[in-house]
Amino acid sequence: MKIRTLACLTALATGMALSGCSGGSDDSGGDDGGQRTLDVWLMRDSVSQEFQEEFTTAFEDAHPDISLEIQIQQWNGIGERVTAALASGDAPDVIEVGNTQVAQYAASGGLLDLSDRVAALGGEDWLPGLAEPGVYEGAQYGIPYYAANRVVIYRTDLFEAAGIDPATLTTREAWLEATEALNGPEGQQGIYLPGQNWYVLSGFIWDEGGDLAVEQDGAWEGTLDTPEALAGMDFYRQLQAHGDGPRDSDEAEPPQVEVFASQEVAQIIAVPGGAGLAVERNPELEGRLGFFPVPGVTADTPGSVFTGGSDLVIPAAAANQEDAHTFIEELTGEEWQTRLAEAMSYVPNKTTLAAAAADDPGTAAMAAGAANGRATPNTPAWAAVEAENPIKDYMTAVLTGRDPEEAAREASEVITRALNP
Amino acid sequence: MPVTGPRTAPTPAPAPVPAARPAPPSEGGAGRGPRRRDGSGWWPYLLIAPTVAGAAFLLLYPLLRGLVISTQEFGLRELINGDAEFVGLDNYRTLLEDPRFWEVVRRTFLFMAVNVVLIVVLATLVALLISRLGRFGRTAVLSGLVLAWGMPVIAATTVFQWLFHSEYGVVNWGLTRLGFESFDRYVWLANGPAAFAILVVLVVWQSVPFAAVTLYAALTTVPRELNEAARLDGASGFQAFRSVTFPMLRPVFMLVICLEVIWTFRAFVQIWVLTQGGPGDATTILPVYAVQTALAAQRYDLGTAASVITVTLMSGVLVVYFRQLYKQEAEQ
Repeated sequence: MKIRTLACLTALATGMALSGCSGGSDDSGGDDGGQRTLDVWLMRDSVSQEFQEEFTTAFEDAHPDISLEIQIQQWNGIGERVTAALASGDAPDVIEVGNTQVAQYAASGGLLDLSDRVAALGGEDWLPGLAEPGVYEGAQYGIPYYAANRVVIYRTDLFEAAGIDPATLTTREAWLEATEALNGPEGQQGIYLPGQNWYVLSGFIWDEGGDLAVEQDGAWEGTLDTPEALAGMDFYRQLQAHGDGPRDSDEAEPPQVEVFASQEVAQIIAVPGGAGLAVERNPELEGRLGFFPVPGVTADTPGSVFTGGSDLVIPAAAANQEDAHTFIEELTGEEWQTRLAEAMSYVPNKTTLAAAAADDPGTAAMAAGAANGRATPNTPAWAAVEAENPIKDYMTAVLTGRDPEEAAREASEVITRALNP
Repeated sequence: MPVTGPRTAPTPAPAPVPAARPAPPSEGGAGRGPRRRDGSGWWPYLLIAPTVAGAAFLLLYPLLRGLVISTQEFGLRELINGDAEFVGLDNYRTLLEDPRFWEVVRRTFLFMAVNVVLIVVLATLVALLISRLGRFGRTAVLSGLVLAWGMPVIAATTVFQWLFHSEYGVVNWGLTRLGFESFDRYVWLANGPAAFAILVVLVVWQSVPFAAVTLYAALTTVPRELNEAARLDGASGFQAFRSVTFPMLRPVFMLVICLEVIWTFRAFVQIWVLTQGGPGDATTILPVYAVQTALAAQRYDLGTAASVITVTLMSGVLVVYFRQLYKQEAEQ
């Protein structure tokens, strides 16, 4: 009977389809009439179009034998693309990597050890939040590129209408009260805080003295179920309730900047660059946005924040390593760092350059918060936690009424499992 | 890749290349005949060679490579630097000793069983319904089935995502309007059993059309007189179905069940788009587990080992069904 053979074939084919999956990458770098091509991957929102063009022109003028090809990559799924590129033997020459991701690639042996370049690049002044995650087993693999941390971006007009002076919001209590008041008017949200912004939650947990995970005798353990961490989550829940942030999605979906631009939202928690993007989408907001650091538990210290940012790495498989060094030297040097900080409202990679950005109100608020900056647990396995992200599930569970202790215990177990592969 | 491809009914293998036409008797004579037969000897193989080579490269090679990786220690380091070490069956041992893996296996079979039972029962009812409808009703139902069948998997999954969206979903809106206030902004996908149920509904909805159309086609081959005779002898509708229709359609039922087993086993796309295996592990079935392990935790060795176990399990299920199928054919 024919059906029998066919069913067998179908079964075989689908069975095999289950097992195979491979990534690849092709890259058309190469020589171009005596010129060497330098392939660079930068991340979305890392540089503006204008900055990229200016830099490329200046770089190619200074090094006429190098042709610079900058590719802008999306954050979504970047881990798999970088992995595939590192494994392909045809990797770009320089890659921008999130600071929490460097350890994983360094541990894999896919990156070039740049320790001997640290002194020449002025490494003693680097921001610790970028330089430390770039180190793996004593060797420097990631070169600090830029940092950014979250601040509160607020609508000056809505604050005035409610009679609230943001300068007085130096404690959580005051902040929560003000947010409640701002949430009062019909059609207005006190704060738009999506339910799964785990970077913000991390800050609240650190404020309470808790942590996401701790290392003990070489083994990592998820610690979302400690009383301190639970207190952080409880504050998140209270704050989140004073607005219509969806409880089951993060700040990227829908993009919170768009919500902020299109609705009557008094505050969001974002990197200062978000203000510019909001004005771009809704020019009416021009001049109506202000910044203040995330308030802490007490008035003496601002709230803890996650120091986000990027490092530049050179893949071990890069074809053009000498030029890659030249590129890193220029982009992380004083001139371009200062211009990047101005153009993108980022914190430059060196503490000595902080003054350059102090004029900008967003950067000033960010710098105040950065004093209390923290990073995610420094282990190569942390990237696995982010990929699976049990913290997001946990937050949604608590916000939708599950027992926080039970949900926290479950999430901690998943973190423990992911950190001890 | 077949996982994302539209589901298609098994199509007959390409008709064999027609045998060489007999040489016109008037010309050629004895010299031409044998040459033509030679040609018909290697031409078919040449013609299928690209397909065979493509299938071998895209299916056989990954399968074999997967088998090799599953016996190696293969993480990010080995992926980038090569030189993976062979560790024998250590990966399989690690997996089989992990209670979480067994939970995933149990969940996979539960998912499969619930889906296949629902699909076959609903598809049978729909097929029986169609065979009793008039021309207009039949056309309408068949069109509806074909439209649902033709909907791309990702598109359908996206629609379901919006139906059950906590803020803007029409399901929450409808339930709230009906007076179920507790469903105001209810987050379906944050609740394990609810997320599981939504995925079952989605997979069943996508799978019923194929099964129903196939069963309906088979139903039309059952002679009407047999059923009428049974009814005259006093059999109820259900008895007639069980004693007359079902035995005649048994091979087709077996085929449909086999195919649905395979398809629900690999309902990876729907799960990945909708829940990524969450909340917690509530919707993690074997293919999802394999991808999570390989790509998120960078344990390619454990991931491929899980895939190999999946293929083995699935083959096991199918062997049971096929044996039964052959046995019945032998009896007939």
